[in-house]
Amino acid sequence: MEPIIELKNVSKEFKILNRHEGVKGSIKDLFSRDYKIVNAVNDISMTINKGEIIGYLGPNGAGKSTTIKMMTGVLEPSSGEILCNGVIPYKKRSENAQNIGVVFGQRSQLWWALPVVESFKILKDIYQVPDKDYNDMMELYSSIVDMENLLHKPVRQMSLGQRTLCDILAAFIHNPAVVFLDEPTIGLDVAMKAKIRELVKTLNHEKNTTVILTTHDMGDVDALCKRIVIIDKGKMLFDNDIEHLSELFGAYRTLILSLNKKGTKCDEEHMQKLSDDVLSLLSEEFSDTSAFSLSFADDKTEILIDESKTSVVKVLNAVQKKYKIYDMHLQDISTESVIRKIYEGGI
Amino acid sequence: MKRGILYYTRIYFKIIAQDIKSKMSYRADFIISMIGMIATNLAGAVSFWIIFQNFPTVQGWNFYEMIFLYGFSLISATPAQCMFDNNWDLRYKVFSGDFIKYCVRPINIFFYYMSEISDVKGLGQFAFGIASVVFAWIKLELRVSVLSILLFIVAAVSASLFVIAILNVAACTCFWIMNSFFALSLSNTLRDYAKYPITIFNPILRFLFTFIIPIGFMSFYPSQIFLRPENVPIISWFTPVFGIIFFYISYKIWMKGALAYNGTGS
Repeated sequence: MEPIIELKNVSKEFKILNRHEGVKGSIKDLFSRDYKIVNAVNDISMTINKGEIIGYLGPNGAGKSTTIKMMTGVLEPSSGEILCNGVIPYKKRSENAQNIGVVFGQRSQLWWALPVVESFKILKDIYQVPDKDYNDMMELYSSIVDMENLLHKPVRQMSLGQRTLCDILAAFIHNPAVVFLDEPTIGLDVAMKAKIRELVKTLNHEKNTTVILTTHDMGDVDALCKRIVIIDKGKMLFDNDIEHLSELFGAYRTLILSLNKKGTKCDEEHMQKLSDDVLSLLSEEFSDTSAFSLSFADDKTEILIDESKTSVVKVLNAVQKKYKIYDMHLQDISTESVIRKIYEGGI
Repeated sequence: MKRGILYYTRIYFKIIAQDIKSKMSYRADFIISMIGMIATNLAGAVSFWIIFQNFPTVQGWNFYEMIFLYGFSLISATPAQCMFDNNWDLRYKVFSGDFIKYCVRPINIFFYYMSEISDVKGLGQFAFGIASVVFAWIKLELRVSVLSILLFIVAAVSASLFVIAILNVAACTCFWIMNSFFALSLSNTLRDYAKYPITIFNPILRFLFTFIIPIGFMSFYPSQIFLRPENVPIISWFTPVFGIIFFYISYKIWMKGALAYNGTGS
């Protein structure tokens, strides 16, 4: 695989004035030289290959935007090296900009008063796209999305979803090697989100464009990204394929069982007793009791199983020796809950 | 890929053409703002007229000469109004973080930013300025020749560079300070001073308005070439050179701010 972006030990520090409280404090601030250094990004290294879609995740204020700004050449790192397409972005901002496309969710980059197609034509001139490439791209676009009624509409009159769609199309128009999507689906409805994901997926596939996606919507991540990178407080927490994410907390799955005959009164007391009984049963069967934990919701008994210690089938076997299972359901731990655990400091 | 002056000119005219096309679809807006513009300038002229009803001259400058200065200042303010009007929105864009979008295109940030908005309303002011100057020119019985017209064009273009320069500097203060509105409104107030002969100010202000905040060049100094052809101050002939220098400095300051810009979190 061919690397397209390389970050080596990249850090970014910001100098921030230590502010004091109150009126007296703000007068003090005027003359204060009391700065503190904040590490927005702290020693991050990664290699991004051609054609990848990377989910770049982290809670608010984690340093995502700062990293993106450094990769797009808007910010200069305090230390470390960045190479994007063989160009140092912050040293050759213009040259780098020719090779990238950027979409900021909710911040349209199209000309507000102009019909979209005119914006596209101006972009064609700005990026000096040859006629043939431009026409091919427009053909590809119209094969993916229904553009006819969009093209001649001024951006100002568009819905947020339509605007985001057009912004994404505009970002790909000069066939850049890398496209940065900064929260592209923020504020969009379910149908529009699906449409945007489909569009990004297709363009990535057709043009082999590298996509770096920041988002808070795990649906985006599940639909698009094979690899994710998670940062928090400027430090990298995770950089691997999405399948490996759940292993961070062991391989957990939840077995959800209905153990009550229809019509049984399932109040809290009853369910509590039931789950206690099941737990003692399992404790007899298995020597390692840390392999599972029990809870209940409504009339269902939920058993969280650590699959590195025991298997679901074994647990199921043990339970059915004593109980009649009326219904069962197996649930993988979701990307969302893993990410939430990471954000909440579970790692 | 080289991006020369031809490249930028082509893109500029493409954007302007589209922009005017889209503005035309708002005819009422266009006409009303045009009327507003003319009314504002008319009011300015009337206040002059009232002053001169009471005082025949201001420090040796008669009514028609003052009208000339006034008209000239309107003409020189036109390019700033028409082509650099986006400066007024700069502080909002910087404050909200929207400015970042101008930093990720492979073209000059200053150009990209300014080309985005063009304001044809400024042309009303331009027409009014031309009318005032022509009126004064006739009343003062100034010479009309090809040379004087050419000189006038050069003088007006040079003077406009000062207006743009001051606007640029006032607007780009927002890269460093939170509330830059006072700088912008100050630049507007100063522009009003440009309508008066600079000789009415005391020597300290006169020096300030010549070399530091060069509003003397917006109208007074270049106008001397036409109003007092037998007694033109040497400094008037420097208007084009100083204009280019001041514009270049303002551009550099603006770009320094833009490149140091690091956006807000998003």
